[in-house]
Amino acid sequence: MIKAKSMMTKDVITISPSSSILEAAKLATSKSVSSLVVVEKGNPVAVVSESDIIKGVISGKSKIKDIMNKNFLAISPGTSFYDINKNMAEKNIKRFPVVDEGRLVGLITETDILGATRDFTRMHQTVQDIILAIFGIATAFFLLYFSPLKDMLFG
Amino acid sequence: MARVRKIMLADVPTLKKEEKLEEAARLLSKTENGCIVVVEGDTPIGIVTELDIVRHIAKGNLKLKEPLSKIMASPVVFMTPNIKLDEALKMIDTKRFRKYPVVENNKLIGLVTKNDVVHAISDNMKLHRAIQNIVLILFVAFELFIFLLYPPLINYLGA
Repeated sequence: MIKAKSMMTKDVITISPSSSILEAAKLATSKSVSSLVVVEKGNPVAVVSESDIIKGVISGKSKIKDIMNKNFLAISPGTSFYDINKNMAEKNIKRFPVVDEGRLVGLITETDILGATRDFTRMHQTVQDIILAIFGIATAFFLLYFSPLKDMLFG
Repeated sequence: MARVRKIMLADVPTLKKEEKLEEAARLLSKTENGCIVVVEGDTPIGIVTELDIVRHIAKGNLKLKEPLSKIMASPVVFMTPNIKLDEALKMIDTKRFRKYPVVENNKLIGLVTKNDVVHAISDNMKLHRAIQNIVLILFVAFELFIFLLYPPLINYLGA
């Protein structure tokens, strides 16, 4: 089973609640990330997405603490792909900071979940195709072996 | 395999190229699409994403008074409604955009995202897997019969 540890982005870009929106915009674009994690004393307290930045600018806000959103869920490196996917689908949570022993070690966003979904689908499909092929060949063999064709084919 | 038409979002936020970024930002904050399609009549001529606006903000433009034409990506890479989902995914992997307007007869009729395509394919696979599981169970049942029941049955009938 895929775990948070193998899906997460390790380079989390963090920002403090007292930083400005402009700094957040610069940071997000220079590091090519769509979400920043807001930390206080090393703990994730909120997230800031592209849409939070835009909303902040049009409503005339200037500080991160005025625009950050709490719609995130801190998880551990051992959390399974299944649980993350479920939280995303049912609670509409799209950002999962990964915390290990009180330390922020990674971030999982929709993009990571999407990548894992693709890998998972592909892997599952391959495994099942192989099992099916084995049983299919065995079944075909038995059908021939126990039918009147047996003598013709196997002597 | 399903087609793009089935999973696309039909209600796409659009604006004209003369309109201000501010307007786009306001429209974006009301929807969850993450992009605005710039149209001339019914024809899409450009696309503005949240990322484009954030990039613009990062350059110090906090007022957003510029017209959309200044930052929109143009021409647009679009999809037609009848392409299959796996072909759509191939296209997404080569073009590397996340959002694609869906165009039919030069008219904007929807929007499709990478997210929607991947999830739709994954859901399709679930059905596929369920069918495969049933076939697998039939195979196993047949083989059990051959191995365990068939020989005694033959013996019994023979005797």
